[in-house]
Amino acid sequence: MRKTLSALIAHVAIMLAVIITLGTLGIIASNIQSAGAEKFTGELERNVTLRILENDTAKEQGYLAELLAAFNEKYKEYGITAVDANMDQYTDLEKGGPYGYGPDVLYQANDAVMKYTEGKHILPLPIEQLECFNYLGENAWKAYTSTFGEQQYVFGVPVNIQQPLLYYREDLLPQNWQTDWDDDKNGLPDMVENWTDLFRFSKQIRQESGGSKYGYMKSLNDGYFASGYFFSYGGYVFGGEDGKDTSDVGFSKGQSYKGAKIIRQLASCMNLECTEDTITKNAYSRLASGTYFATMTTPDVYTLFLKEMVLAGYTEEYARENLKVIPVPKLPVSGDLEDESQGMTEMTVMGGVNGYAVSSYTKAPNAALAFVNFATSYEMINRRCELLGISPARSDVASAKGGLNETINENLDKGVIYVMPSVRALAQVWTPLQTFCAILADDVLNQKNLYVTDEAFKNGLANVDKQIYDAIHTLAG
Amino acid sequence: MNKEKTDGLKARGKFVGFFRSLPEKAKKKFSGTKEILTQGNGKVCASMCIMGLGQLLYKQWAKGIIFLVLQLAFIAYFVLTGATDLFGFFTLGTREGNAWYGVEGDNSVVMLIMGIFAILMIVFYVAIYISNVKDVYKTQCACDTSKNPELFKSEVAGLLDKSFYKTALALPVIGVCVFSILPIVFMILIAFTNYGGDTIPPALVDWVGFQNFAKILTLGQFAPTFFKIFGWNMIWAVLSTAINYFAGLGLALLLNKACVKGKAFWRAFPILAYAIPGFITLLGFKFMFSYGGPINYYIQNAGNPAVDFLGINAQWTARLIGLAVNAWISIPSTMLLATGILSNINTDLYEAARVDGASAWKQFIKITLPYMLFATTPVLISQFIGNFNNFGIFYFLRGGLYTEGYFLASDTDLLINWLYNMSIDNNYYSIGAAISLIIFIITSVISLAVYVFSPSYKQEETFR
Amino acid sequence: MNKAKSKVIKAKSKKVLNVLITYCILIIVAFIFFFPCLWLILASFSKSGSIYSFDGFFPSEYSTDSFVTLFTDTVMYNYRQWFFNTLFIAGMSCIFGTLFTILTAYCMSRFRFRSRKAMMKTTLVLGMFPSFMGTIAVYLLMTQFNLINQHWGLILIYSAQAPMGYMVQKGFFDTIPYSIDEAARIDGASNFTVFVKFILPLSKPILVYTALTAFTWPWSDFILPKMLLQDKNLYTVAVGLMSLGETEFARFAAGSIIIAIPIIILYFCLVKYMINGMSAGAVKE
Repeated sequence: MRKTLSALIAHVAIMLAVIITLGTLGIIASNIQSAGAEKFTGELERNVTLRILENDTAKEQGYLAELLAAFNEKYKEYGITAVDANMDQYTDLEKGGPYGYGPDVLYQANDAVMKYTEGKHILPLPIEQLECFNYLGENAWKAYTSTFGEQQYVFGVPVNIQQPLLYYREDLLPQNWQTDWDDDKNGLPDMVENWTDLFRFSKQIRQESGGSKYGYMKSLNDGYFASGYFFSYGGYVFGGEDGKDTSDVGFSKGQSYKGAKIIRQLASCMNLECTEDTITKNAYSRLASGTYFATMTTPDVYTLFLKEMVLAGYTEEYARENLKVIPVPKLPVSGDLEDESQGMTEMTVMGGVNGYAVSSYTKAPNAALAFVNFATSYEMINRRCELLGISPARSDVASAKGGLNETINENLDKGVIYVMPSVRALAQVWTPLQTFCAILADDVLNQKNLYVTDEAFKNGLANVDKQIYDAIHTLAG
Repeated sequence: MNKEKTDGLKARGKFVGFFRSLPEKAKKKFSGTKEILTQGNGKVCASMCIMGLGQLLYKQWAKGIIFLVLQLAFIAYFVLTGATDLFGFFTLGTREGNAWYGVEGDNSVVMLIMGIFAILMIVFYVAIYISNVKDVYKTQCACDTSKNPELFKSEVAGLLDKSFYKTALALPVIGVCVFSILPIVFMILIAFTNYGGDTIPPALVDWVGFQNFAKILTLGQFAPTFFKIFGWNMIWAVLSTAINYFAGLGLALLLNKACVKGKAFWRAFPILAYAIPGFITLLGFKFMFSYGGPINYYIQNAGNPAVDFLGINAQWTARLIGLAVNAWISIPSTMLLATGILSNINTDLYEAARVDGASAWKQFIKITLPYMLFATTPVLISQFIGNFNNFGIFYFLRGGLYTEGYFLASDTDLLINWLYNMSIDNNYYSIGAAISLIIFIITSVISLAVYVFSPSYKQEETFR
Repeated sequence: MNKAKSKVIKAKSKKVLNVLITYCILIIVAFIFFFPCLWLILASFSKSGSIYSFDGFFPSEYSTDSFVTLFTDTVMYNYRQWFFNTLFIAGMSCIFGTLFTILTAYCMSRFRFRSRKAMMKTTLVLGMFPSFMGTIAVYLLMTQFNLINQHWGLILIYSAQAPMGYMVQKGFFDTIPYSIDEAARIDGASNFTVFVKFILPLSKPILVYTALTAFTWPWSDFILPKMLLQDKNLYTVAVGLMSLGETEFARFAAGSIIIAIPIIILYFCLVKYMINGMSAGAVKE
């Protein structure tokens, strides 16, 4: 008994000793902090491969291939090659990056990029070193700026501005628009300049066609586009100086109930499909078939409309000529689409700035920075603009292009574009907002008429704010 | 004395008896250990000290070397990472990383999971150690009674015969431990940490005890929505399981009828439904029932107003569509299963029943159904659970909607959808884990009770 | 005499009615299951990519373009590659998964060992866990084992998790009479031989069922490959299809039709085993 027991104890003791010594050693080792070092030394790494994450359209239209070829040619002497990361365009760097599976340079929207800053997954960039530094407006940089401790850092380089635009078919305008629908005689039809006229025109189309054709159509429950109506009358997403204070949800603030009224009014000239995402998806083919006159969406889907128009039997030339894309119309100050008496106001829309960021896990930060610098140069942005039809954030490219590009660029500077707040909690905004907008549209189309007084709208919006607040804070720390 | 009462008494007797027998059982269990400890000779000691040494001394080379190698492998594992991992399980990391300057920190979550892995390895190690000691003692006994110890060859042969189950189960058990049990343990443990929100790696996660549960229980808004959703969730689980099960069985029986010609042809239609991945089906049905979908197209062409199938007003229509769509997806596999099992039923039983003049309905009630239920109770339970936790159906059909009177949920959401809205979508992993632990306890109690009282568990031997 | 005749006629007409009703139900069932599939097939032949250019269920113009582009236009969506990836993953997982599941079920049904009941209850209870968090754990494990972006990683997970669903197969084995085992063992066969030579041939229906499920799960799974495969060339069809754009519905439908084909072929090849599972060679009591 003694012999066996001591053998057993010896075994257990040896194993425990092994585990405890090594375990303790492990803890001691992990307490030794390595100092770390600044990554942007200015010295280019040699013989490295950079994996670039671009968006799908850039790839589809051949821009990415061009960009990579040009870059690789220029940096051949350093042995730096940039390749397509070949991942999903919305890949979450936070998930794969720390384990070594992320891209080195990524092109995403500002809200996606800034989400990575919390865990320091992307590097603060020495933007003064970049060629594009002086050509980008303050608001564009602001979308990528964040404060850590006392210090302000910039994490991304803006490339293009995303904002809702009005798409319409010029050939569907009434014959007499120049005489009857152009009060200010500026050569632009009133129905694409003012929401009031667009509403009137939509009603007229519906009446004349017996309900088979529509004027302006849009899925009203789409929070991204609907939020503009609230912003225009003083609403906001989150409060605080940088718009990131999630304890202050502001959809009901100011006179935003007027925005809700407008959404309900707009629904009355549509059909029940506007309470769901149907119109978002069918707008391409319905605009092509002439069933819809106009819709609102982002600039990057222009080619999809063209494609559908060609499929519908038009020549591409005709399609390009008649499919117009312009900034969104003006809203009536009164908050009533049938009352222009108080004049018009510019519509504020929710937008975003897409740009490049550099992963913290890249082995070659300086080469990555060189790539960003190259990709945001005048030539490349100009080419990107030509091939993809984006609205450049670089003011020099925008003014060279003129027209819509210039307007959008100015809009960002003016602050008519409400840049999506770069906080994780933004994800909680959509469902409550979406539901409320669907309720508004349903209210008028199914003749429930629960929302007629200003009070009802205000209460509804207050409830939206409360739901968003609850979703963010109920379970938080 | 009525029957219920006797049953109750019996159950109580069993219950008391179970606890009374505990010390005895423990004694029995430890008597083997005691025997080895008192009777073991020097070679047993050798194996106790170093695995495989005793076997080598008995000249059982192959076995000895296998155990020795295993011992060395385990030591190597602990030296390389195991020990550090194990300690990491308790500390969950002490230094925070800073990727900006390339400072590598501790990743608490990885440490937690690798810690669990290390514990799993220790369990394996102890099991191998015990079998090593038992084995050498068995050899000793054989030698003492001057029988020849079992040859290695015959022992290997035994692995295919008497202890075939050990061979067969080894890989599946390891696989299930690592890829099914370990993740679940991980998740349970997450409920006791502060993982989530702002505390995600590289920030350090810490153990917080029952704080998450306290938070859930003290939330006032919680209870009303919880009971509303729970009620619907139960109705949904029961209804959908019953529909899928009986419709699948019915279909299998229908296709089994003698008068049906071209069985393979008819059976192919449900298979078609089975062959299309579920998410595609769900997206398709969502489109069909939307305002802009084909069904409303025909309704409107006929001059009627569009019907709100899945929208904000559609509580019960959406629920019914959910049931129907779920049935469409699940019936084919139930039918396949039922066909398989029915083909194994003893036809003599039916013949005997026919001779006795039993009607088709009676045959179904008396023979088919009990047989099917016996063979498929576990399946039924797992289908019930699957339906109870069916995330996809309403996420795809009616996602992105909050209904009035519900706290962050819609009136078709199941508990799992609600859980998703509240925690995962928001990155509050620890709270999510705590809520799923609560859901889990509820469902497991229900289904374990059903299982233990089911005929297929009580009388596994009936249909032999 | 007459009475007997009318009885026969009555019985006959009853039978005819029975057959008629049976077929009616069959046709309805077939229609219910076939119609959405038919719609998907029609959609895949639509000329316009958008689903909203349809007249109700039917596309306004037909063409086979989407099938052609599916296989030729591989710059963005490399369907061919995805298809073979999926085939490889599902095939391998099917082989290993079926093997493990059948072995587990057989042991649980035929052997009585100490931890058996405990194991049965544990697996049952564990199967009930809502699996959200589990996926996070699986992802972390795979990063530690260096199996991200590798098909074998997926195969490992699918095969390892398959035995959790052994209950169906165990239920089946429970219904195979013990007398078969006993007879064989009297002849001196080992348990392994009994399993391979006697039980397996009787288990064709359940083998087919197991293999089909073990194949279709990875075949149509979306969550795991989405999480573990990051390189687009390694995608499976399910992940790839979900990344298609909004106006690509025809291509999406074509892609879904094509991934349904192997399962249907598999079914037609295996169907006879399933129906005639208990045929020649079985011991009749």
